[in-house]
Amino acid sequence: MITRMNNLDSLLGAMDLFRNRMNTMFNEFDRGVGWTGAETYPRTNLCDTGDNLEVIAELPGVSKADVNVKIQGNYLEISGTRKSDIPEGYKVHRIERETATFSRSFTLPYDVDANQVTATLKDGLLKMTLPKSEAAKPKQININ
Amino acid sequence: MNENTELVARTEQNVERVNRLPLTVPVVDIFENDHEILLHADMPGVAKEDISVDIDNGKMTLSGTRQLHLTGAATWREFADTEFRRVFSVPQSIDIDKVHAELKDGVLRLHLPKSEAAKPRQIEIKVG
Repeated sequence: MITRMNNLDSLLGAMDLFRNRMNTMFNEFDRGVGWTGAETYPRTNLCDTGDNLEVIAELPGVSKADVNVKIQGNYLEISGTRKSDIPEGYKVHRIERETATFSRSFTLPYDVDANQVTATLKDGLLKMTLPKSEAAKPKQININ
Repeated sequence: MNENTELVARTEQNVERVNRLPLTVPVVDIFENDHEILLHADMPGVAKEDISVDIDNGKMTLSGTRQLHLTGAATWREFADTEFRRVFSVPQSIDIDKVHAELKDGVLRLHLPKSEAAKPRQIEIKVG
């Protein structure tokens, strides 16, 4: 008995979705971060813009003086402290925002030129532009 | 009989497409003293003009949208564009006209001053 094509389509669609999920999961494991749960702090994005790598990290309530960034070759470390900002003379009703020291290290896909890294901290986002080292930059090859 | 068939004949209009951002509940700290209730909310990456605080009928809706404008190919991505939204019940003793907020380092600090009538008062007892 032939069922409606429609059903088959939606079934295959669901399998596609599942396969995509599995793929992204394996990608996450490949880069050694594993599951990104609540305990992963700070959360980061890494983009490759050709000549540069761009890293964005979520650091709400952390001032410039309390963040340290270390770079060596293709190793990047972001560490610092999230200080408590409980005001004086107030009664506490609820504390959800965590205060702790944090440290997270990454292996970047390329070596970067540590001398030319720029970093800005605005609205609780740390944005870093990491120029790839000369050897890692994409090169245009002319064909004769 | 009424020959008007418009009600049935009318083609169904396309539902308006709304580009909704995924919702995130921001984490908050809440403090209180004699003069005000103070709320700290983490909203990393939200610009001042993208935050709205609406108080209506005893409910305060705190909302802020984050647009990251990412460029290039993502090697990994752990956070994305989102809307931070959370609804709170606000006691009647809050003076809504005097509510003010500041945003610093991605943390919103919202001051909810209590109205004069709700502030604690020391009653002096006179000797009769």
